[in-house]
Amino acid sequence: MELAALSAAGDRPAFGELVRRHGSSVRGLLRRMGAEPSLADDLAQDAFLAAFERIAEFRGEGTFVGWVRRIAARLYIRRWRREGLTDQAEGDLEEVTGGEAIAASRIDLDEALKSLSPSERMCVSLCYGAGMSHAEAAEALNAPLGTVKSHVKRGLDKLRLRLAPPAGSSDGRREHG
Amino acid sequence: MADPDFEQSLVKMFAEAPSLPDPEGFARLVEARLDRGWNLRQALIWSMGLAGGVIGFSQVFPTRVLAQMGAASEESRRVLDQGMTSLSNLQGSLDTLPLGGEVVWMAAALGVIALAFAITRAVEEF
Repeated sequence: MELAALSAAGDRPAFGELVRRHGSSVRGLLRRMGAEPSLADDLAQDAFLAAFERIAEFRGEGTFVGWVRRIAARLYIRRWRREGLTDQAEGDLEEVTGGEAIAASRIDLDEALKSLSPSERMCVSLCYGAGMSHAEAAEALNAPLGTVKSHVKRGLDKLRLRLAPPAGSSDGRREHG
Repeated sequence: MADPDFEQSLVKMFAEAPSLPDPEGFARLVEARLDRGWNLRQALIWSMGLAGGVIGFSQVFPTRVLAQMGAASEESRRVLDQGMTSLSNLQGSLDTLPLGGEVVWMAAALGVIALAFAITRAVEEF
């Protein structure tokens, strides 16, 4: 928050430090949403520049990185919708998701997300990566709330099969919708 | 079926930043783009200031400054005319007086001084 406050006062080295600290988080979210690495990096840069322009709007509600991740997510949604990626490769992914038997061992999130359709991946990433509620995701995607909820549900089902159950994580629950 | 524990663990997994190549290079790129944007903005402000100055000058120059210059040149001309008239009168007087060559040279020197004064006045007015 201090660095964000300094940045809001025009301290550009402070903002540079924020970029150093949170760059990978934002880039990572965009890749997890399905962006190619080069596109993810470009959009992450755009997100940080937009954040610097609008940093006066950040009032410390939530974390700075969470705020930038939301900006980045919205930038990617715009690109995603413009390029019509919503139904891309759905058929190919069905084959991947058909192999549910491989869920025995834990694989990492990035690999597990590849088993989701683009729409499922997008909805899950928005709700669990960018911290949006189902309603916010529906609004950002300009999609019906029910559609988003069903994408999230199907995505979670697939991820649950792919990811081993976590060991003892039960505090601080979130609600979506 | 909702599974809050799983959802919570998913949030944590998403929150973990992956290890990506060249984080320092990424930060430098962002800073370079910030600098570029800042320089562009400065150039824009500077050029807008220049344009404003030119417009302001072009509005003022033809009216006030030119009027002042005209008044100044009019004043200078009047002073010069006075000097020349004085010289003519002096020459006429010299013709009627029995004066030597040194007086003529002195009068010429006075004329030069008057001319210098007129030029100096004109420069000051401009």
